[in-house]
Amino acid sequence: MDLSLDESQHILVDTFSEMLEKECPTTHVRDCEGEGFSEALWGQYCELGANVMGLPESAGGLEMSLLDLGLVANLSGRAIAPVPFLEVATVGRLLANVAPEDPLLAALAEGAPAASIALPRSNAVLGTSTGGTTRTLVPFGALADAVVALDGDTLYIAEGGEARRSSRVQDIGAGALAWWNLDRAENARVLATGDEAVAAMARANAEWKLLAGFWLTGIAQRALAIGSEYARERIQFGVPIGGFQAIAHPLAECAIRSDGAELLCQEAAWADTEDPVRFEMLSSMAFAWGSQTAIRTADIALHTHGGYGFSTEYDIQLFYRRARSLSSIAGGAKEELQTVAELCFDRDGSGQAATLLGGAQ
Amino acid sequence: MDFRLGEKAEEVQREIRAFLAEHFSDEDRKEAAEDGGGHNWELYRKLAAAGWVSAGWPKEYGGGGRDPYEILTLYWELCKAGFPWIGLLNNGFIGHTLMAMGTDYHREHFVPKIANGEIAFALGYSEPGSGSDVAGARTTATPDGDEWLINGEKMWTTTAHTAQYIFMLTRTSTQDRPHRGLTMFLVPTDIEGVEITPIHTMGGERSNGVSLSDARIPDAYRVGEVDKGWSVVRFALGLEQAMGYADLQERFIQHAGQWSLTPGADGQRPFDDPRVKEQLGQTAIHAEVSRLLRHRSTWITAEGKDLGGKGAMTKSFSGTSYLEDAQSWMDLVGPAGLLKEDEDGALAGGNFDEAFRQTPVNTIYGGTAEILRSLVAEVELGLPKSR
Repeated sequence: MDLSLDESQHILVDTFSEMLEKECPTTHVRDCEGEGFSEALWGQYCELGANVMGLPESAGGLEMSLLDLGLVANLSGRAIAPVPFLEVATVGRLLANVAPEDPLLAALAEGAPAASIALPRSNAVLGTSTGGTTRTLVPFGALADAVVALDGDTLYIAEGGEARRSSRVQDIGAGALAWWNLDRAENARVLATGDEAVAAMARANAEWKLLAGFWLTGIAQRALAIGSEYARERIQFGVPIGGFQAIAHPLAECAIRSDGAELLCQEAAWADTEDPVRFEMLSSMAFAWGSQTAIRTADIALHTHGGYGFSTEYDIQLFYRRARSLSSIAGGAKEELQTVAELCFDRDGSGQAATLLGGAQ
Repeated sequence: MDFRLGEKAEEVQREIRAFLAEHFSDEDRKEAAEDGGGHNWELYRKLAAAGWVSAGWPKEYGGGGRDPYEILTLYWELCKAGFPWIGLLNNGFIGHTLMAMGTDYHREHFVPKIANGEIAFALGYSEPGSGSDVAGARTTATPDGDEWLINGEKMWTTTAHTAQYIFMLTRTSTQDRPHRGLTMFLVPTDIEGVEITPIHTMGGERSNGVSLSDARIPDAYRVGEVDKGWSVVRFALGLEQAMGYADLQERFIQHAGQWSLTPGADGQRPFDDPRVKEQLGQTAIHAEVSRLLRHRSTWITAEGKDLGGKGAMTKSFSGTSYLEDAQSWMDLVGPAGLLKEDEDGALAGGNFDEAFRQTPVNTIYGGTAEILRSLVAEVELGLPKSR
């Protein structure tokens, strides 16, 4: 057992931490709320190779692991960076997997934030499903020219963004969401069909969920740091409020849950190559638990601020809103918990409890 | 990174599972649950004969030299199987402590007998007037020539009725701050002045109260220096807190999952109800996170590093999440969930009833969730001391 990062991972973390500290203070995040995207910051990401990190060498990539990608996603969450790192990484890897010659992959490798993904929602609450070919709310859809989607067992790229997408719709997280019409009757390029298509989308979905889990964990960790700092400094009744158990204990609980989220994400990323049979289940867990932890932690940290936390002047509300939006864009934790159960207990629908709990020895 | 416990731990898992298959029947499991004392001499001596009692002790003291991952696996497998393993846990720790902090006399007189399964110890920290405030112990030890007289009362002294000794925290001074006047002793359970009375719990455990009235013991039974007992206790509690209940959570979710996939009287699988599916997902995540936190504690220990607040995190999360799940499941499964194992119509072998009765104590003993959260807040978040 070794739960430490290796030297190259430390360098990766240091490099992105330094860049984000300089290029993405919360003042910059606020400046970008009107568009939900920072072109300048995305330029910095691409300069550090973030858009090609997870791609194979043959596609101009750096062949880095999902854990490496996860570390960048985690730091991005801490900085609540307004960039489509998750979508570009996921779609890029999907294309490299099923259609390595596709021009969209080349565009992503050149740094264009050109593509996004319509995430499947198999456990959507009745009446709320927006998947398939119906109108779908797409993360960073306002920037994308193309969206990868699955219809039945057909995996395709919906092209011609201008005709398909709405203008940006404002959401809680001040992202760059847009509605997309994913009708594949025209302007759609089929990437794969049958089992291959279903498997490729399941894989891409798991990767996006895992990286989003890392991102959400980052939001939780930064929110916790902000809340704890406030609790150490804010004086009421003549003492720092962090000395009151009613303040300290909820924060401590969030620290515990955030540590758990980080371990869960790292285990899932590690399982990609070392325990592949559990990868999809652990990624689903990482997203569900990352969602729950980020939302709870941002809430507790906001509450720690008293009335100030509710004011736009304080930063904690930026995290509170983004934890919610990143979770909800993929359906949210309640939906995902059901997916966890399916992946854990009823993987093939046969009703055999081939439980994947217990982990690798 | 590497999330595997390693080959040696895998080997231990195989060995313990083979041991359980040979020596621990389902009948034995039910008997252990019925008895609730946490220790069974016959089974325990078989474990000792196979070298498991001293497995984690250093080789230079005649131990097995097993690493923390192997010991984790040993405890995990026994606990998950419902084996009465509390005696093993206590004795493994006390043997270790006597080797590290005891005298030559302790090492010669007690340690070999612990290793071969002849004698067992109970832990005597809590008192009627001091639970979370362990250092508030009022049971006194008064010197009388070369001997000591022990007076007072102990609570929650689990296994005291089957053990030969109690590893006891006593007060030897009231001159300084409370934790600076404590001393540890090995108190025989069969001497005059020691009276043991049972305490039964809602979870089916049998614990004990111990009253001490001029119980006379030789100075040779003192462990560590006079007034320096606090560090010994802190070490013991740290060990307990770094464990949690992930093994039991894993057993619980496996039973719940299996049950949910079996069609009920109406022909429908509970699994296909979204409420059940959602709860399965939540419980599975809680079990996984508890396991990861426990593995991390083990890794930190194996690396020889300081646990900081991370041991407290392990027990706090595991205890609270298991309790929450046990209650949520009871809310889902309807009236038959109330039934005990072997009752007509009991669900999942009484899984839900058992967990509902047993989990409340997990957020209490060995450090309440509140004590642990304070520790996490202070050590991990740098917040002021809050008590």
